[in-house]
Amino acid sequence: MKSLSLKNLAKTYFDAYKGEHVTAIRDVSLEVPAGEFVSIVGPSGCGKSTILNMVAGFIPHSGGDILVGGEAVKGPGPDRGVVFQSFALFPWKTVLDNVGFGPKMRGVPKAERDAIAREYLALAGLSHAADRYPNELSGGMQQRVGVVRALANQPDVLLMDEPFASVDAQTRMTLQDELSRIWEERRPTVVFITHDVPEAVFLANRVVVLSKGKVLAEVDVPISRPRVWDRLVADDQFKDLSNQVLALVRSA
Amino acid sequence: MERTSRFSAALIFVAPLAVLVVLWAVLVPALGVRPQIFPSVAAVGRAGIDSILDGSLLRHVAASVSRVAIGTVLAVLVAVPLGILMGVSRGVSAFVTPLMRFFSVLAGIAWIPIATLWFGYGFGAIVFVIFNAVFFVVAYNTLLGVSTIPMTLRHAAASLGAGRRSMLTDVLLPGALPNIVTGIRTGLGFAWRGLIAAEMIATDVGLGYMLFVARDFYQTEVIVLGMIVIGTLWLLIDRLLLVPLERATIERWGLVSP
Repeated sequence: MKSLSLKNLAKTYFDAYKGEHVTAIRDVSLEVPAGEFVSIVGPSGCGKSTILNMVAGFIPHSGGDILVGGEAVKGPGPDRGVVFQSFALFPWKTVLDNVGFGPKMRGVPKAERDAIAREYLALAGLSHAADRYPNELSGGMQQRVGVVRALANQPDVLLMDEPFASVDAQTRMTLQDELSRIWEERRPTVVFITHDVPEAVFLANRVVVLSKGKVLAEVDVPISRPRVWDRLVADDQFKDLSNQVLALVRSA
Repeated sequence: MERTSRFSAALIFVAPLAVLVVLWAVLVPALGVRPQIFPSVAAVGRAGIDSILDGSLLRHVAASVSRVAIGTVLAVLVAVPLGILMGVSRGVSAFVTPLMRFFSVLAGIAWIPIATLWFGYGFGAIVFVIFNAVFFVVAYNTLLGVSTIPMTLRHAAASLGAGRRSMLTDVLLPGALPNIVTGIRTGLGFAWRGLIAAEMIATDVGLGYMLFVARDFYQTEVIVLGMIVIGTLWLLIDRLLLVPLERATIERWGLVSP
C-alpha cells in the first residue's frame, strides 16, 4: 500500500464538436495517505471520472503531478488497480482466470496464481463460481469478481469508478457491506468515485466534494468500524454527515 | 433431451432434401426424361458406387479438399495478423483499407486467368484463388473484431500489468476470435465456390474438373453426382466444423444469447 498525491492537477482538451478548448479539471490537489479510503463525489460533469482516468493513466493530464508513493505516474500500470463501472471482465476467461490475470502478467506460475485467485475469490464468497464464465453471472457477482480481480494483483492504490452504479439497489447495499468488510481486513489505499452520497459516506474515511473541476470541500468521516448497513441506516452521525455532504453537492 | 432435440433438428434439416430426391425419383421416369438431359436416381447411385470403387471419387475429393484446406490456412495465417495490425494502428488501417476495398471485389475467380499465368495449371493457381477468396473476408472481420473490443477491456488489461505481447495474446486475439471465426466461415463459402470454378479451368483433378469432363461425354449422372458431393461436403464442413466453432466462441462468451 502506498500513498497517492495529486498536485495542482489539470486537464484541458480540445472539443472538436464545439471547436474550443474545454477545461475539465481546473486545479485539484489531494493527498491520500497509504491505507486510507477516500470517496470523491460531485454532480455529473464535475470531472470526477476524468480524475480517475488520469490517475489510472488511461488519459494524459495536461498539468500538475500525479504521484503514487512519491513516484510520477506514466501510463497505466499494475501499481494502480482499477474497478470499472462496466465490470470489464474478460468474457473469454473463466472467473478464476480473470482473477488470476494480474498475477499471470507478473509471470506467476499457473498453480500458484490459481491458488492466489481462489484465496481472493473466497474473500468475496465466490469460490463456487471459479469455473464459470462472466456472462453466466449476475451483475452483482460480476462486480464482485471485478473488485477481487483488482485486489488479487495487490495494487498500491485501488481506483474504483462508480463500481456499483449499474447493479440494483438491494445488491448495491450488499456489495457496499462486503467492500467495507474487505477494506477493514486488508486496508488498501482506495479512491472511490461515485455520485451516490450515502455510498460515499458509508465507505470512506474522507469524502471529497468536487465541483466544476475543483475541490469544493473535504469532509472527514469519523464513524467507527466495522460499518454495516444494518447499523448505519439508523445512525445519527451517519445521517448528519450524509446531509452535510449532500448539501455541499447540491450547492455545487 | 439434448440428444433428441438435436436429432429432430437434423431430421428437419434433412427432410426437404429427402423430398427433393423423392420428386426426382418420381418425375424423371414419369416424364420420360432422357439420360442426356437429366439422369435417374439409380444411374447416379451406380455412378457413385463405381467412382468409389475405382477410387476416382476419393481422388477428386481429396484434391479439392486439400486445396481448400491449404489455401484457407495460408490466408488465415496472413489475414489475422494484418487485421489485428489494422485494428490497433490507424496509419496501417488508413493505408490498407482502400486496397482492401478494391481487391475484395476482385477476390476469387477474377484472379483465375492471371493465376494460371503465374502458377501454371494446377495446384498453385487454385490455392492462390482460394487464398484470395478467404484472405479479404478474414482480414476485414479480424479488423472488425479488434475494433469492437470495448476500450475498457484494454484498459483493464493494461492496469493489470499487460504489456504489448499479452495485450495481443490475451485480449486482442481472443476478443476478435468470434469475428475471425465468422470471417473464416464466410470466406470458406466463397472459397468452395471459387474452387469449383477454378478446377473447371485450371487443373486435371478435383470435383470441378470431374463435372467439367463429364459434360464432354454427356455423363449427366457423373455431373449430378459431383454436384451432390460438392453440396454435401460443404454442408458437412459447415455443420460439423464451422458452426460448432462459431458456437464455442460466440455463445460461450455471451456475445450473443444462445
